[in-house]
Amino acid sequence: MMHNMTTHLQSKGSTAVPSTPILSVKNLNKSYGDLKILKDISVSIKEGDFLVLVGPSGCGKSTLLGCIGGLTEVTSGHLRIGGADVTHTDPAKRDIAMVFQSYALFPNMSVAENIGFGLEVRKVPKAQRDEKIKQVAELLKIEPLLDRAPAQLSGGQRQRVAMGRALVRDPKLFLFDEPLSNLDAKLRVTMRTEIKRLHQRLNASIIYVTHDQIEAMTLATKIVVMKDGVIQQVGTPREIYDTPANIFVADFMGSPAMNILDAKVTMDGSVARIEIAREDGQPPLVLHDPAPSAGIVKRQGAALKIGLRPEALTDLGSRAVHADQHFDCLLDVVEPAGSDTFAVIRLGGAEVTARLHGDADVRSGETVPICFDVTKISYFDPQSGERL
Amino acid sequence: MQRSLFASIALYSAALLLTLFTLAPLVWLLLMSISSPNDLTAVPLNWWPNEVNLSRYGRLMDLNEGSGQRFLGALRNSLLTAGGATLIALIVAVPAAYAFSRRGASLALLFAFLATIMMPPITYVLPLYEIFGGMGALNKTTTLVIVYSAMLLPFATWLMKSNIDVLPVEIEQAAFMEGATTAFTLRRVVLPLALPAIAATCMLSFLVAWDEFFYALIFTSDLSAKTLPVAIADFSAGRVTDYGVIASVGVLATLPPAILAICFQRFIVSGLAAGSVKG
Amino acid sequence: MSAISRSREKWVLLLPAILVLSFITVLPFFQTLWTSFTDAEITAREQQVNWIGLENYIWALTDPDFLDALGRTLYFTVVSVGLEGVLGIAVALLLNQQFRGRMFLRIIIILPWAVPTIVNAVAWRLIYHPDYGALNSLLLQLGLIDSYTSWLGDPDRALNMVILADVWKNFPLVAYIALAAMQTIPGDLLKAAAIEGAGAWKRFRSITLPWIIGPMLVVLILRTIEAFRVFDIIYVMTRGGPSDGTKTASFYVYQEYFSYLRSGSGASYAVLVAGISAVLILAYYAGVRRDQRGA
Repeated sequence: MMHNMTTHLQSKGSTAVPSTPILSVKNLNKSYGDLKILKDISVSIKEGDFLVLVGPSGCGKSTLLGCIGGLTEVTSGHLRIGGADVTHTDPAKRDIAMVFQSYALFPNMSVAENIGFGLEVRKVPKAQRDEKIKQVAELLKIEPLLDRAPAQLSGGQRQRVAMGRALVRDPKLFLFDEPLSNLDAKLRVTMRTEIKRLHQRLNASIIYVTHDQIEAMTLATKIVVMKDGVIQQVGTPREIYDTPANIFVADFMGSPAMNILDAKVTMDGSVARIEIAREDGQPPLVLHDPAPSAGIVKRQGAALKIGLRPEALTDLGSRAVHADQHFDCLLDVVEPAGSDTFAVIRLGGAEVTARLHGDADVRSGETVPICFDVTKISYFDPQSGERL
Repeated sequence: MQRSLFASIALYSAALLLTLFTLAPLVWLLLMSISSPNDLTAVPLNWWPNEVNLSRYGRLMDLNEGSGQRFLGALRNSLLTAGGATLIALIVAVPAAYAFSRRGASLALLFAFLATIMMPPITYVLPLYEIFGGMGALNKTTTLVIVYSAMLLPFATWLMKSNIDVLPVEIEQAAFMEGATTAFTLRRVVLPLALPAIAATCMLSFLVAWDEFFYALIFTSDLSAKTLPVAIADFSAGRVTDYGVIASVGVLATLPPAILAICFQRFIVSGLAAGSVKG
Repeated sequence: MSAISRSREKWVLLLPAILVLSFITVLPFFQTLWTSFTDAEITAREQQVNWIGLENYIWALTDPDFLDALGRTLYFTVVSVGLEGVLGIAVALLLNQQFRGRMFLRIIIILPWAVPTIVNAVAWRLIYHPDYGALNSLLLQLGLIDSYTSWLGDPDRALNMVILADVWKNFPLVAYIALAAMQTIPGDLLKAAAIEGAGAWKRFRSITLPWIIGPMLVVLILRTIEAFRVFDIIYVMTRGGPSDGTKTASFYVYQEYFSYLRSGSGASYAVLVAGISAVLILAYYAGVRRDQRGA
């Protein structure tokens, strides 16, 4: 049964030629009067991609989703869905479905009517409609709720109904607009897993908007980070996390955020020598990067910004360590978080977070050896903030 | 804060005075309608009737009586006119309100709509009289329904617009996304959500139409189309010797709006506030 | 939805409303405007209608009877709306207090508003009746008058009596709006003022009145627009008499049309009245704008 459902839901998407992107956005602009909300956005996804648009509020991610969905008229640029130009097409004719932040269930209709609404609009015969509603309800485990009104449902149940309404029509593309932001923390994690499982099972093409970088990391096959209407970086979660394109992305993705410090970089043969100033007249801390990128070699001698993830700074614990890459550091603040213990160190003119082991027996004010892992170090231009 | 005795006395006196001022004319109208003609022509008056005389109501409700024919005919015309005009106004106002609320129709146009009802009817009445006269459409309920629906339309549009404004727009977007047309969305999604607003708009529109006199006076000439206000004006202008008859017609004509007003006070007050305070 | 289909759809949605209003109000208005420059009359015969330019207007503006009617309309409007404003605010202040029977009073206050205008006129005409009226009987029994008076028979007094009837029907609307506005005043504001030693009058002047002035302005202009077109209550109570003592502008136009059958000059009167109304309407929108900015 479940297998049938899966293939059935896939059938439409797989008719598209595999090489055509399911969605392509080209040079899209959106302005309200003089206010430019989206600036020259270009992005495309393949069938089965899970694209997450992430960024702080006001970055234009929801507007972009609205443009893709046809709820917002674009100012210039092109939109293609499944190869067809839909820039000026009614949302109804784009073959897409959307899950709204507020769920947007029809309060005057039962759960079953809500799920079947799109089929009712398309004049699908009642028997066939009921069959499909039943399949989707089974998939989402909401069969007992079919006769209820939306007002009688919990937040998580409404969320499922909203997804059911999107799934039942088997569209080319699913749009999710911050679908989990109205749920409590625990339910959010459960639903996140559920959405991921659905995506894997149905191989659906999804565009998902969120301001929560953890949601972005866990769900996406591809992430678009936006700020002020401009795409900052497009990449897999791993690429975004390990090689952020600029300081904004580095700071925005990951929690706690990547540490950005002032440093002076000089070349010592093929090894980059990274000198980080310390407070209270202590001698500077010197790290060695044995494999710096070509860009660094050109900039040697200059003051740069370097980025180190908190997990690159850790206590000795059980980990094997390069003997030359650990230093005694004064722990300003210690925050035990169970699985990890976070410690704040003052380094290079900034507060730097180190991620120690959960069982590390340390206290604020202690000086302990911290080891630095420079294999995933990022270098940024201090003026432009761009990655070097 | 504790009130002083003096303040309490002043407060309750004011409340009593207000109650008397508000109710006295109504109570007197009611008393007149059930007093005997002799009580009503006594000098000075017999304030409290010697006997309850319901015969006038009986005659007004009797189709075999002349006054009954006139009253019941006018009642029928009033119900048809006010009901029909309310229905048409709503059917026309809801799509227009949706255009103003969700399709970015210019608010200047809405103000122009509203300006048409703020102009005195004498500005429109003569050309309408000549047009309808030329069509042989004077003295017809349908004609009044059309004129009244134009009179109700701007306010109904405004009221519906402010109510659609506060509905969550995402629900309509969801309907469009699911492939629904605007007409389908209006019928299946917006109207059910706006039902309380529609009820309030209907009620206020009905009351306004029920009250209208000027057009009815000019466009109707006999029992086949005269509405209650015109019939009442006729009753009171004629050489009626029994003022109790006029009073009982007045009581009967007041009952429907008074009952609506008291039962749905909240609706009406908020509707009026929306209409007059928020423009 | 594409911009073109969306904008086309907007006009489809608006079309019925625009059609209805065009045929019932806009076109007749321009017809009236055109007629006002002619010597047209209401007649069954074929008639020659001549364009006579501003003659009707010159006539109207030099016609002492019409100017008197305008003056009476203005008097009626200013006095009745003024009284409704004062009474409305006073009643709202009262209903905003805590006392027994407050809810009852709030409910019955709506009754005068619900009474149809014509019934109101008829009821007050009976109350004012010179021979058997309740007002005469009451005042006589209280010893305030010596003999029955013809309240509507005196040209100087009749208009004031009509105003009383109009105020009785229309003060509830003003009171409700004022009360609704007063209920949005934060209680702390008034309490704080009281603690600072502000007396009741001072609190009303410096807190309550400025708070409600926006909505009051709007509702009173709306009432002004309505009062300025007053017709039905006059028609029933006095028919414009005695000796034109209650003949208002609308009534004047009505007679010019339907008693003297002079549509050309009637139309010019109508246009003049409409012009004054238009000024009031503009004042209304200015008031609404001001109110919304203030809110």
